[in-house]
Amino acid sequence: MTTALSLTNGPGTVLTAAGEIDMSNADTFAAALTSAVTLASGSPLTVDLTAVQYLDSAGLAALFAHADHIEVLTGPILAPLLEISGLNELATVRWA
Amino acid sequence: MSGTEHPLSPHAFSADPEVGADLAAVDWAATPLGDPGQWPQSLRTAVSILLSSRFSMWMAWGPELTFFCNAAYRRHTLHEKYPWALGRPASEVWAEIWDDIGPRIDTVLSTGEATWDEGLLLFVERSGYPEESYHTFSYSPLHDDDGALIGMLCVVSEDTEQVIGERRMRTLRDLGSDPTVARTEQEMLLFTSRQLGRNLGDLPFTLTYLFGDDGRALLAASTGIDSDHPATSPDLWPAGRAAAGEPAVVELTGKAFTGLPSGDWAEPPTRALVLPLLQQGGAPYGFLVTGLNRYRPFDDGYRGFLELAAGHVAAGIASARSFRAQQRRAEELAELDRAKTTFFSNISHEFRTPLTLIMGPVEELLARRATADDEVRAELEVIHRNGLRLGKLVNTLLDFSRIEAGRMQARYEPVDLSAVTAELASAFRSAIERAGLTFDVDCPVLPEHVHVDLGMWEKVVLNLLSNALKFTFDGGVRVTVRADGADAVVTVTDTGVGVPADEMPRLFERFHRIENARSRSNEGSGIGLALVQELVRLHGGTIAAQSETGSGTSFTIRLPFGHAHLPEYTEVPAGPATPLSANADPFLQEALRWLPSQDGPVPEPGPVAGSAPTTGASVLVADDNADMRDYLTRLLRSAGYRVVAVVDGRYALEAARADTPDIVVSDVMMPRLDGLQLVAALRSDPRTAGTPVLLLSARAGQEASIEGLDAGADDYLFKPFSAAELLARVRANVDLARLRNHHARWRTALIDSLQEAFFVCDESGAIIEINSAFTDILGYGPEGLPYLPVHPWWPDRDTDADGHQAVADAFRMLLGRPTGSYTIPVVHRDGRRLWAAAAFNQVRDPDTGRRVIVGTFRDVTAEQHAVQRDSALAALGLRLSEAENVDGALTAVLAELREIWQATHVLAAVFSDADNPALTCTDPTVNWDNLPEQRRAALLALRARPVLTPVTEDHTGTGITLGHPAGTMVLWIEAGPARPFSAPDETLLALLAGHLGQGLNRIHQIDQQRETALALQRAILGPDRLPSGFAVRYEPATRPLKVGGDWYDTIELADGRIGIVVGDCVGHGLEAATVMGQLRSACRALLLRDSSPARTLMSLDVFAAMLPGAACATVFCGVLDPGTGQLVYSSAGHPPAIVGHPDGSTHLLDQGRSRPVAVRTGSERPEAEYTVPARATLLLYTDGLVERRRQPLSSGISRVSAAVQRGLGTPIEDLATEIMDRLIPDNGYDDDVAVLLYRHPGPLDLEFPAESGRLAPVRSALRGWLERCGIDPATTQNILVAAGEACANAIEHGHRDSPGGRIRLRAAATAGDLRLVVSDTGVWRNPDPAANPYRGRGLTLMRAFMQAVTVTSGNTGTIVDMQARIL
Repeated sequence: MTTALSLTNGPGTVLTAAGEIDMSNADTFAAALTSAVTLASGSPLTVDLTAVQYLDSAGLAALFAHADHIEVLTGPILAPLLEISGLNELATVRWA
Repeated sequence: MSGTEHPLSPHAFSADPEVGADLAAVDWAATPLGDPGQWPQSLRTAVSILLSSRFSMWMAWGPELTFFCNAAYRRHTLHEKYPWALGRPASEVWAEIWDDIGPRIDTVLSTGEATWDEGLLLFVERSGYPEESYHTFSYSPLHDDDGALIGMLCVVSEDTEQVIGERRMRTLRDLGSDPTVARTEQEMLLFTSRQLGRNLGDLPFTLTYLFGDDGRALLAASTGIDSDHPATSPDLWPAGRAAAGEPAVVELTGKAFTGLPSGDWAEPPTRALVLPLLQQGGAPYGFLVTGLNRYRPFDDGYRGFLELAAGHVAAGIASARSFRAQQRRAEELAELDRAKTTFFSNISHEFRTPLTLIMGPVEELLARRATADDEVRAELEVIHRNGLRLGKLVNTLLDFSRIEAGRMQARYEPVDLSAVTAELASAFRSAIERAGLTFDVDCPVLPEHVHVDLGMWEKVVLNLLSNALKFTFDGGVRVTVRADGADAVVTVTDTGVGVPADEMPRLFERFHRIENARSRSNEGSGIGLALVQELVRLHGGTIAAQSETGSGTSFTIRLPFGHAHLPEYTEVPAGPATPLSANADPFLQEALRWLPSQDGPVPEPGPVAGSAPTTGASVLVADDNADMRDYLTRLLRSAGYRVVAVVDGRYALEAARADTPDIVVSDVMMPRLDGLQLVAALRSDPRTAGTPVLLLSARAGQEASIEGLDAGADDYLFKPFSAAELLARVRANVDLARLRNHHARWRTALIDSLQEAFFVCDESGAIIEINSAFTDILGYGPEGLPYLPVHPWWPDRDTDADGHQAVADAFRMLLGRPTGSYTIPVVHRDGRRLWAAAAFNQVRDPDTGRRVIVGTFRDVTAEQHAVQRDSALAALGLRLSEAENVDGALTAVLAELREIWQATHVLAAVFSDADNPALTCTDPTVNWDNLPEQRRAALLALRARPVLTPVTEDHTGTGITLGHPAGTMVLWIEAGPARPFSAPDETLLALLAGHLGQGLNRIHQIDQQRETALALQRAILGPDRLPSGFAVRYEPATRPLKVGGDWYDTIELADGRIGIVVGDCVGHGLEAATVMGQLRSACRALLLRDSSPARTLMSLDVFAAMLPGAACATVFCGVLDPGTGQLVYSSAGHPPAIVGHPDGSTHLLDQGRSRPVAVRTGSERPEAEYTVPARATLLLYTDGLVERRRQPLSSGISRVSAAVQRGLGTPIEDLATEIMDRLIPDNGYDDDVAVLLYRHPGPLDLEFPAESGRLAPVRSALRGWLERCGIDPATTQNILVAAGEACANAIEHGHRDSPGGRIRLRAAATAGDLRLVVSDTGVWRNPDPAANPYRGRGLTLMRAFMQAVTVTSGNTGTIVDMQARIL
């Protein structure tokens, strides 16, 4: 069931993640996020998490760090988490 | 904040809904403030502050100073004026005090400065009358929106209770403060009036009335009112009610009450309280009227204060009156004393002349040796001695009258006090030493002379020495003289009987004699010490006494050196003193007569030939005066009587009881036991009741003789009496008594010849007569009669409570019933315990008409021992049969043995091989190491002795050796004080020890059988380890075996499925267990080979057919897939399994059923399939759980179904216990019961290293388990995050400093709940949000996704316990 994290950069300003994000791979995710935000150079980066089956507080931390510069795309699995963590108050969270 | 506010509920009023509502109800339009909707912000704010404050406040606003207040002010101050006051002008609200507060408010409004008043007295009308009240308050200015002064705010606290309470307390304190202890009634009334008059606030006026002897009330004191005011007339008050102790409130209306004083107030009281002045245990002394302050409510506090004040007045009167009474008594006593002295000195003087005329010729006759034969000479000496004694007494009395009249002429001369005192003392040496006492005179030379009158000093020293000798029977007398500063100190110390503490104050009192003190003589007038004190005082000295009863007495005299303290001192040259012997002689002669005659007991002379007829009658003479004793002895012997003479009543009683005389001749006044007491004692003893007693007394008069005859004396003679009269009376009484006693003697002889013990007991239970068999059995003889209850042969209440109780019960029966019999334990005089069987009858004494009880008893100790032996054997047998093992049996038996012998403790030492035995003792603190060395040695010695031979060590206890399964056992019974070991006891012990040895061996065998059975049970009952999710219970019907015919089993099959079997063989006990064991093993083996339940049971049919006792067993056999919950099963006549669904419904697995095992071998068996739903509970059981007599099986199954239903939310282990407890019949299970429970899925239990890489696999496992639990995806996701965060925390915090630690995740589900526990072995740090701002989110997420999260962190690790509800 557990799937490894895979990251895909864009077309354009999109970062797509799939699989599970926990403290074991949160650093990878954070690095990808940072470089994608940098590349987007000012224009909002869309982070597509619809294919992510698990996200923990380490992954959330990476998202919070770039909250001002990202738009998060989520499916039903992560939606409650993003709401409870308060990310939707700092960043735009859209349902896919 | 903006918005439109509703005009009727302005925001300003909302701070207090209640007062706010009343404010909102005010018609504001009618006030200068207008509609609240239009109020300026400043007013709204002020009102809001006011209402929200819990401190008492009011405020005034606007041109009319419109009144507002808050709830606290309403409650504390405003009372009935609320809510009327709201919105009114303040001057109207507080009209009655406006004169006081108006000017203050004006000042605030004109100056803008706040005021402060503390404890201001205001008369407010809030309860319907002007009320005295005190307030501490501050007025502060209020400004409108433009800053102009517009009103004021008052913050107030009311101090009324405090101020008034302090005022009352002050009065009570002052009333109780009078330091003088005793004073006259008048002084006391003046004092209380002064105190009451200082509190005109609570006591505007008071009137104190006292009842005179005629019962009329008289005004004794008043405060606050003139004593001539018409209201002081006692007739105005309800004196009658007060006299009866009742208080009353009087309305002060009527002419007499006009113009009453008003105290501290403007208007006089309208009511008064009348309180009785109560006397303890008597009618009231009088009553107290107090005018009541009309400005205070007459409440409990006020009434209580007045009652306390009245109590103080009453107490004062009580102490004054008791002081007066004491004083009067003291004066009367002093007067009586004076009169007595005068009388004695007057008559003493008259004695001197005749005395001189007796003594002169007697001395002359004695000097003429030639003329006197021995007998005459002896008589003359008696006269001489007694003349001296009389002279001494007369002189002492004369000394007193001289001192009293101030006519004592002292001749003080300087002397060496040591030498004088030592010489005086030496005169007494021979007398003291003859009494067998030591005499120690220690008088070193003093540095200065002391001025004394030698004549007086002699009297002082001789009196003290004579006193010491009189009261000392053992030890000795010591005289010392020392210098101590400016004083010479002389002490006379004895080791005599001492003076009781309560007599010490009266020791030096004239004519006071200490009653009942043991002394050498009862002679004495009680004035010796009084005279000593007077004489020492004449010397300017002091005398003090110290004494302790039983230890002795010490007199200490202090005389100053020199003569400055002697006002009338006239130097007298030291000259030759009066010869010592002249003064000392009377003292010495008297003292010598107290001592036993040097010749020993009075010798019995042979009958005097030719004199009076020899009657042979025996006479017992008792007199403490040796001369009188000798005189009587001589007189009676010369008349032919056999005489025994003794010195007091006690000796007389002993002598009479030992050998009853024909007559007793006794003096009345004697030490220890006087004549009257002697008569009473003789009369109460049946043996001496008939012995005539002739009393002799110096006290003349009808009354004395009546007293003597009343006590039971047969005759009475006054001293002086003539010899002829005495002899005549003795003869008459002896003859009369002989006649009378003839029958009594015959009766005594008859009773004494009885074989059984005989006793007579009076109505009080005192034993008044016994025979010789009584003495033989109990050891108590007639000399101790009467024996008063509690009789000395009763077992001791403390050491033998049961025995004591038995005797007490029998004794009650003896006194209460006309006839009866009983058997009781009694204690022989030598301490032996006996059993006595007694029978009794009530009869009427023909002589006295009184009811007496006549009884007989015999010694049935031997029979009793037989009974005791039988019951002891029975008790021992019971203990042995009840015991479950050897140790338990030993403990129980030791307790039983201790009970039988009332032993201090009983111990058993079992020597298996080493010298250190295993010790069991009824006293748990005793062990081998803390036993006394001596006892250890004794036990080791006993070990070597032949078995079953008791050995009694004197008084300490008894030991015996016997066989114990583990070796030789020594049993030791530590004797208790109540139960010494006798020969029958040893026999009994040997018998019991024999039984004990056999019993222990039998139990040991059973023990071994049981051990075997237990091992067997462990081997055959069920698996050691259960797969997860299962719980089992087994309860055998037969004890002490712990196995039976029922079993449960789980078998982990190769494909991961689990075989489950519950079976029930016919019967129970060891036999059924052996069958069960084989069936179980067979079933297990068959399932491992072929996992089809139906085929397994069919093969079991074949196996069981060959096994005797196995046919008809019932078996439920199933195979469960723990992943899916799929269950394939087949039942061989077994009751259906029960499934409890999470929604609360239950289902019976009643398919796949067929006949019991081995009933029709070879036939096909059906098989059924069922999927256990997620979080459902499966219960397999045997019929012992559900079967009840006279009830259908179905009702038992319903009961179990209900229990499963109730326990759906209970963890599976707890549920197993709960089901066994809930279904247990009243008398316990009477059939074997086996129970197997399973909840699907079984709990998850993962352990993994603390590494982040392990999170994903753990998550995966958890996700799978949650799916098996039937959890929906959204909830699953939440639980995954919560669990993931807990694990991440454990990795990050718990094992940051100790990598390689392990983490454990456990999860279990019930029907409605899911519980997750993540534990680690590290130490968590408190999250530091500054260091890692996002990390703290973990716990937030856990709490958000789970219903309950508890984190317990300690030194050994951290446990995160989370619970989620599943719907």
